[in-house]
Amino acid sequence: MNRITENIQVVDHKINYSNLVFYVIDTTNSILNIDHTMGYDALILDASDPEYAHLVLRKIRGHYNPEFYLKPVFLLNFKEIKDPVLNKMHDGIMTSYDQIPQMAETAKRIFIKTTQLDNQLVPSFEGQTVKKVLNYMYTRDIRTLKPVVDLNSAIGYTYPELSVNFTSTEEPQVLEILEWADREGLIWPDFFERVYLCNNCSSGSLSYREVCPHCNSANSKSEDLVHHFPCAYIGPISDFQNNIDSSLNCPKCNKTLRHIGIDYDKPSVIHHCNNCDQNYQDAFIKSKCLSCEDDIDVKYLVPKNVNIYKLTRKGRSAATSGFLSSSQEVDDIFGTINMPTFRIMLHYELERLKELPAQKTSLALLHLENIFELYNKSGKKGERRLLEELVAVIRENIKSSDVIAFESSSTLYLMLTNTAKENAEQKLKNLSSLTENLVKKNFNNFKVNLLYKVSMLDTGKKAEVQLQELSKEFFA
Amino acid sequence: MEFLDEFFNYLSSVSPSKLVRVFWFFFFFEFVRFFLVDFTTVLLWKMTAVFRKKRVKEGRNLFWAEKPFVSIIVPGKNEGKHIYKLAVSLKEQTYQNFELIVVDDGSDDDTRAICNSLKRNGLIDIFLSNDVRGGKASAANLGLRYATGKFIIHMDADCSYDRDAVENILVPFYYDDKVGAVGGDVQVRNYKQSLCATLQAIEYTDTISVGRISQSQLGIYRIISGAFGAFRKEALQSVGGWDIGPGLDGDITVKIRKLGYQIHFEPTAICQTNVPVTFNALIRQRLRWDKSLIRFRLRKHSDVFFPNESFRISNFVSFVENITYSLVLNFKWYFYVIDMVLNFTSRLVFIIPMNFLLYTVNNYFKFIVFSLFRERKNVGAEYFMLYMPLMALYFGYFLRLVRTYAYLQELFFRRSYEDSWNPEKSSRQAKALRL
Repeated sequence: MNRITENIQVVDHKINYSNLVFYVIDTTNSILNIDHTMGYDALILDASDPEYAHLVLRKIRGHYNPEFYLKPVFLLNFKEIKDPVLNKMHDGIMTSYDQIPQMAETAKRIFIKTTQLDNQLVPSFEGQTVKKVLNYMYTRDIRTLKPVVDLNSAIGYTYPELSVNFTSTEEPQVLEILEWADREGLIWPDFFERVYLCNNCSSGSLSYREVCPHCNSANSKSEDLVHHFPCAYIGPISDFQNNIDSSLNCPKCNKTLRHIGIDYDKPSVIHHCNNCDQNYQDAFIKSKCLSCEDDIDVKYLVPKNVNIYKLTRKGRSAATSGFLSSSQEVDDIFGTINMPTFRIMLHYELERLKELPAQKTSLALLHLENIFELYNKSGKKGERRLLEELVAVIRENIKSSDVIAFESSSTLYLMLTNTAKENAEQKLKNLSSLTENLVKKNFNNFKVNLLYKVSMLDTGKKAEVQLQELSKEFFA
Repeated sequence: MEFLDEFFNYLSSVSPSKLVRVFWFFFFFEFVRFFLVDFTTVLLWKMTAVFRKKRVKEGRNLFWAEKPFVSIIVPGKNEGKHIYKLAVSLKEQTYQNFELIVVDDGSDDDTRAICNSLKRNGLIDIFLSNDVRGGKASAANLGLRYATGKFIIHMDADCSYDRDAVENILVPFYYDDKVGAVGGDVQVRNYKQSLCATLQAIEYTDTISVGRISQSQLGIYRIISGAFGAFRKEALQSVGGWDIGPGLDGDITVKIRKLGYQIHFEPTAICQTNVPVTFNALIRQRLRWDKSLIRFRLRKHSDVFFPNESFRISNFVSFVENITYSLVLNFKWYFYVIDMVLNFTSRLVFIIPMNFLLYTVNNYFKFIVFSLFRERKNVGAEYFMLYMPLMALYFGYFLRLVRTYAYLQELFFRRSYEDSWNPEKSSRQAKALRL
């Protein structure tokens, strides 16, 4: 037992104060397992070892469970360092346990806000991630997502509230998700900076250098061109140099160069490539991706705006009222219909089933779990190609009366008419295997994690409810 | 009518000896040099063609067997708009083993962007660019510095070339080891654009096409046009490339001649160029060209006239002929005019039209006779015939007056050093060092 003050005692990492139980996490706790802290009201994280504190805080805030990621976390023994997670993702800094009363007030405020949250699940990866961030922002009264310079981030910037859900190499996904949220009208962008990303792996860790336009080598020697006015000789300065002294002598007329601008000038520069022996004046600017080592012409880099995002009215209310995705990006893929139409058709199907009770129709949700890793590598075109090929494969294996709709670029719904649940599950199992093979074959052996859930249509429930239930079951 | 009667009466009454007395300048100098000598030489050249045929064929075979790598240098300022056409036309050449080197001499238009784009697309092999203008000689020298070909061909960006021009200009190097440089035949492309251009086109067919065949045969060919000339690289390197102009085409030719090389004119290597379309522009061009005769022939290369270790009789004759016919006779013509004014005052009214008639008849005769020896003899022939009467005025008065003015300016004031054709920084140095 460690008595701090009259009312505050640390007993086995725990502090009871004003009906709240704080748990103190220090280096004696394993980073790998913090699940046992879930039952406590708030956490006090000893930040005297910043690396340890960073990992623990990241684990808490990046957790999928709101019980964890919304938990009040206070830093003890924290010294300001350049760590966006530690700097931004805590709820207060304590210099001693004497400050527990103030922290308790903060924790209570967060609890009250947490009870106001809408718990409805948004059935897509992007939706889930954004909802999580909106929940966090709401409970902390944060209204703006500000990018912070972070050398560890693949794009050089990080949005702590959102980026904490991704590894540093996955940072480009953060920009994709912010763009998605922008399209959904949840946030409003305000230009902050522009970054250029590798067109292969979306990394922003690029090394720019001048290279030979013939062989792309950066191994070159640059020289001034010297023009000797009296005899009109012009050549690299080495033509004029000698081994004896530092004077410059014209190789054509042997005169010594006296005064720049009077008898000679330097009209240009020439580069000599030590690799291919070519001479050139206009070097190519290439950027070497330090992540995938691709050498990219700068004109092919992918420009991305790093914006400051403010919550819109819709964004502000989304945490407490939920939101429906209106994404239309994947609506026009051949062989699919958009979500509103899918809902209407689902409604008609329910009406039809009421007339024909012997018939069974299944509703399925298919989710490509880690597909954003692939999207980041292959870009928008790759994403589009994958989805088109995916739909083609599904279409070949389902009836023409079955319908497909994309909820997002990672989640799709299928309505399998006149198909019992067992048959639908078998079909989905086959489709999963086909899809995995397709991705593996067409996208450099990428292994996609394909998850699915099937439910029977229940004529007693509305179409929208059945969609929500399926996604809730799936994403819970 | 009364004047014509009197004129013909005068003509019929003039005895041959008196005709020679009155038109001595024409009979003793111009007719002899520019018709008899040219005609005899070109006729001999044509007649001996059969003997050269085997040698030329062997040279051509040798050339194709070796397929030498050639560097084509195109220096210029603000020539971007012409480069694409030139590069594309060069892709049509029968001989393709060359590198195209374009040198931008401090352009202030889109030349740099255009050429970089052409380079990226493989139409230009080497593009060199200077931020500040250094003059045409320095631009050509920069191209030479980075050229890797065995032969160097100098071209102008605004010219176009026959499909076999590059091949034909290189073959002479292979049937005569002594040939150090070969000049191509420059013809006028825009001869219908204006009267001024038409008159120049007729002049080019006479002095450049046929005149240079004659000069080449006589061994006194002394100006390889910058529009189309081929050089042995070692010859160019030996003379240090081009020196400051204006008149650098003639200068480089003389420098190579002085090394002991022969200079050959190749009439089948045809290049077409645009000439000035206004008389003002033509005057500026000719003042520049004519001043260079004084600056280079009379001053810079005056050593050709004196016995020294590099003395060669062909160079001596070439210079004497050039100085005599271009400079001495130019001023002597004024003596002729004074002679006529003082001694034939009352007959001047007949002598002037008679003179005009004589030159015109001579010009028609020459044009028709020389057509036998010209490449593309039918091009523009009928069109030129219409304008032939004006040539007496063009040659006899216009060009003579321009030439006189240029010579006086250069002889007494060294005005070529003030020509804006060269950057002032170079001209200042050249003038100070008497280059």
